Parts: sequence; structure tokens; C-alpha cells
Amino acid sequence: MSDARVESVVRTITEGCIENEKYFGDLDSVVGDGDFGFSLARGFEKVLEQWDSFDRSDTGTFLQKVAVVMSGRIGGTSGPIWGTAFLRAAGQVKGKQEIAGDDVVAMLRAAIEGIKARGGADLGEKTLLDALAPMTETIERELAAGSAPADIAKAAAVSARDAAEATRPMQARRGRASYTGERSIGSLDPGAVAVAVLAERVADSW
Amino acid sequence: MKKFVNDPLNFVPEMLKGIALANPDTLRYVPEYNLIMRADAPSPDKVSIIQGSGSGHEPAHVMVVGKGMLDGACPGDVFAAPPMEYVLETAKLLASDKGVLLLVNNYTGDKMAFEMAAELAEAEGLNVRTLFINDDVAVKDSTWTVGRRGVAGNFFVMKAVGAAAEAGASLEELVRIGEKVNSVTRTMGIALTPCTPPAKGSPLFELADDEMEVGVGIHGEPGRRRAKLVSADEIVDELLGAVVPDLPYSSGDSVALMINGLGGTPISELYLLYGLAHEKLAAQGITVGRSYVGEYCTSLDMAGASLTLVQLDDEITELLLAPAEIANRVF
Repeated sequence: MSDARVESVVRTITEGCIENEKYFGDLDSVVGDGDFGFSLARGFEKVLEQWDSFDRSDTGTFLQKVAVVMSGRIGGTSGPIWGTAFLRAAGQVKGKQEIAGDDVVAMLRAAIEGIKARGGADLGEKTLLDALAPMTETIERELAAGSAPADIAKAAAVSARDAAEATRPMQARRGRASYTGERSIGSLDPGAVAVAVLAERVADSW
Repeated sequence: MKKFVNDPLNFVPEMLKGIALANPDTLRYVPEYNLIMRADAPSPDKVSIIQGSGSGHEPAHVMVVGKGMLDGACPGDVFAAPPMEYVLETAKLLASDKGVLLLVNNYTGDKMAFEMAAELAEAEGLNVRTLFINDDVAVKDSTWTVGRRGVAGNFFVMKAVGAAAEAGASLEELVRIGEKVNSVTRTMGIALTPCTPPAKGSPLFELADDEMEVGVGIHGEPGRRRAKLVSADEIVDELLGAVVPDLPYSSGDSVALMINGLGGTPISELYLLYGLAHEKLAAQGITVGRSYVGEYCTSLDMAGASLTLVQLDDEITELLLAPAEIANRVF
């Protein structure tokens, strides 16, 4: 069986991306091409459609199926980027059923490395990594301090939101937004905001 | 711009159906994944070669599926990378014991879709290698871009690895050959008009009657500069001036010279350009060993042309000479 808590988080992300289609798209049309909300929503709609039929023999398998279905049919770069994140996270928990706190950190770290490799991006380049990496560090810190899971989720959400806000003065170096150069300064990165929005939903539903 | 089209959303599937119906003995169309494949593929004795990209560049790549060339092509919609799942399923359908080689023109969307598909295919036990083609000298590489684009020079990579695969080369050998051909191939294009995607129905960009776009990409992306239209002689000088010093190609070299039409330029003009380029190369001591004139990688109906040079050696020459049987053969 796959881990029930992981499934619940994936479900929250899925619904969050579908419900925020317009908001994410509007964020992206400031400096990007406006298809971010659309791409994510179409990808996660497929996940929702096939939710009951996913192979749940273990958590890694479940996450891999989500990755393939989510990224399989959407164009642009969001599919491969988000799909890779799920795929690499899946690789960390292959064959595992129950997921512990340090597994979560390992999954997030693998997802971050996967996004870096797939997109050729690094921290500080105004991408979703700029929210994902600080959030992961917060989770690791809270785990070490022995915080309760619900509190860790709350701290993660706060950290992701702060980090997303901190993308405002950054200049985009990757993706379509990078073509606008300095004009990207002053706007929030849609990917980083999406991470914050989703982390907040996860914390609220804990 | 007038087009032969029904529902623009069905433009690619309807084209693919036509290709398959016209070649019932040699090609198979798999509508589910936009896939055109050799009817006799995969073969356990041969590496399967797959190329994918957006549509709109025909004959690349769906019309160069055949013996001695590609085993399959998985196009996306017009000018859009194929969805990752199409690439993955194409690789699985064409899986061979000798392996699968994915050829990709270096564009962000294509690169990501193919890399992720390759990762998943490997996880499912397939032996997959991916080769990127980036022959376009118009793009100045920088830290912040994905790098040079793959354009008409991809023909030479497909032809060389296709011939080698037919002769039984291993996957590692094909990667070596493909990388070698890519490393000695350079291209630059000039557009005289924009192109019109069927779903858009209007030109993708504006270009005045007396202007040309120098260094244009195969989707009409901007090149090095926009300039006043000049004579064919001066255009060939500009193209050779960009391509020759880039490798560089030098006196004593034998090259393949390709003048590729971008879709809306008559073949008469392409031969005119070819003649000029051939003589100008000869004047620099560069001999044309193989010549290619026609449409190899287009940008829908764009008027324009690109010039490609490949530095030849015995191995590449032999692979280019080997026979190939494709739907798009010219008599």
C-alpha cells in the first residue's frame, strides 16, 4: 500500500492546481506566456480522472504513476519540470509503504535536484526552486527539533510563502520569463507562488 | 493566407493519415501517439532511431521514416514539442534489444520532453540514448539560454546514424557517429516572409516587403538581425560569412553543401543559391563533395532558405552515400 498521508498531500496539490488555474495563469502572464496555470490544471485534471486506478502497491510506485499521468500529455515546460519532481521523489521511496519524516526531506531534495537538472536552473534564478529549497530546509530543521507533523507543515507553509515573496526583486534567468530580462524584476515568480499556495493548503488540511 | 485545412486542430493527424495511406507497404500510423513508424520496425538486430519535434518542418521528420533513415517519428502539434507520453510510448513500441536512439533538435520544450521520456524508458528497462542536434550558428550561446538550435543540419545526423544502424552498428557507435556529424555541421538561414500556422491563420510575425530576417529559426524566431533585402549574391556572402568561419571550414576541406528551402521558396531559387555558394566555396579552396538542394527542414510556408555545411571525411561520406528509402524520395 502507498502511504495514506502522501496520498492525501498529492490529492491536496492536485485540487490546488486545478482550482488555482486562473490565478497561476494571471501571475504567469505578467512576464511569461500565461500558460502556466493552464498547463498545471490540465495535467492534474488527468491525475484526478485516474485517481482511483493508480497502482498503489507502494508509495514510490504511486508517485511514479502520478508523475507520468501529470506530465504525459501537457506541452510546454511545466509538465516535464513538475513531472520530474514527482518522479525523483518517487525514486527515493521505491518499495516503501510507510513514509517517515526523513523520507520527506529526501524526496524534496531529490525533487529539487531533478528540477535543477531538467531545467538547467539553480537557486536565485526566480523559479519554483526559490520556494522549494527554503521550505525543505525548514522541514529538516523542524524535524531535527522534534516538532509535531502538523506544526512542521505550518512552518513549511510560512517559509514557502516568505520565500515566494522574496522572488519579487529577482531577475528571471530561466524559462520564457528570462527573455524579458530586467522587466521580470518586481513581479512574483508564478512557480514559487504556486509552491507557497500548495504548502498552505497542505498545512490547512493537516 | 489561404490553406488546405479542415479543423486546424486536426491538421497534424490528417497529414499523418495521408502519409500512411500513401505508403501502405512501408509505414504505419499510430493515431494514439501521433506516431509514424516503419511497418517492419522494430527489428531485434538493429538499433531503433526515433526523432521528434514540433510539426510544420516537413519533410522533417515524419517523412524521413524509412529504411536507412528513421524507424519512427513522433511529432507534436505545429511548432510544439511532442507530449512526453508520446515520446515514451514511441520508444516502447520501437524498443529493440540493440537499443533506442532518440534524436532531438535542441529546443527547451523538446529537450525536456525527451529527457524525461528517456528517464522513464530506462526505468522500464529500455536501453535508451539521447542525442541533441545544434547546428544553427545564428544563436550566440550564453549561460542563460538552452544553446544553439537544431535546424536543417539534423538531416545529416539522421542520414548518418540511419545508415550506420542499418549496417548493424551498436547504440554506443551510433552516439559516437551522431555526435561527430553534429560537431562538423553548421547552418544559417534567412527568411523573406513569415510563416502562417494553420491554427493561428495569420502570419507569425511581421516582415516588410523589402526586409529579410537574417539567422531566422525554423519557427520564425528572430535571428541575428533584420535587414533590407539584398541580392542573392550578397545573401550567399552573408550566409557563408557566418557559417564558414564558425567551425571553421578551411581551404582543402571537402564538404557537403545543402541549400534547404524553408517551405515557400521555389526550387529554382534554391538552385540559384546553390550555384553561387558552390562557386564561392571553390574560390576559398573548399570542395563540395556532396550536394543537397531542396526542402529538408521547413517552416510551414515561409519563403526563405538555409545553408548547411558538413565537413566530410571517409566515414561520413560513406554513410551519406548509403541508400535510403523514404516516402519523400525525389526522382
